[in-house]
Amino acid sequence: MKNKLRELRAVKEWSQSDLADKLGVSRQTINAIETEKYDPSLPLAFKVARLFKLPIEDIFEP
Amino acid sequence: MTSTLYTARMNTKPNLPDEIWLGKKEYSAWTDWKVNGWLFVATIISGASDIMFPQVVREWPIAVRALVALVPFVLLLLWVRSLARWVRGMDELHRRITLAAILFTVSATFFFVVLWHRLERAGVFQAIFTTRSPASWDIGTVGHIFLLMTFCYFLGYRIFNRRYQ
Repeated sequence: MKNKLRELRAVKEWSQSDLADKLGVSRQTINAIETEKYDPSLPLAFKVARLFKLPIEDIFEP
Repeated sequence: MTSTLYTARMNTKPNLPDEIWLGKKEYSAWTDWKVNGWLFVATIISGASDIMFPQVVREWPIAVRALVALVPFVLLLLWVRSLARWVRGMDELHRRITLAAILFTVSATFFFVVLWHRLERAGVFQAIFTTRSPASWDIGTVGHIFLLMTFCYFLGYRIFNRRYQ
């Protein structure tokens, strides 16, 4: 699944570890989502959307 | 006072499998003990009773002997409980990898043991390795199964973890 996580993270100047801490997941999970090797669960996708204050469909697209 | 000891960041930190892998830089002896402590105690008690059984324990009353034999299994159940809690505390990616590795471990061990047993019953090992006695080809002991499961788990974990790196 394509996503804009890397760009959004760059805008906020957060490292993968920073974002992982904020979402309560591991750095490997953030990396796997950014490289499109792993699709996050719905609860995690909602957490991401809430953190960046954007609708889910603006961050993830199938 | 207590609340200051548990920050939100601490509570949201997911369990990482690397924290219980000896040799990894994230390895934590305390975390390893929390997860695998009961397994360690069960191994010690099981080993001690195996050594003592032929001489000392065999002369004890039947109820005590049954208790000695069953104690490691109770401890193993406690270990499974702590392991399940550990897996539940992982983040979703690591939980997926770990559960896939556990499924691989159980399936591969079952497959290997059944295959080995059938070859052993057919006398294949005895025919190939004539110097060994038939009893030495039995892999039905807890030690053999445990070693096999440990090997399969590490193999499975490496395979499934590579997919997300």
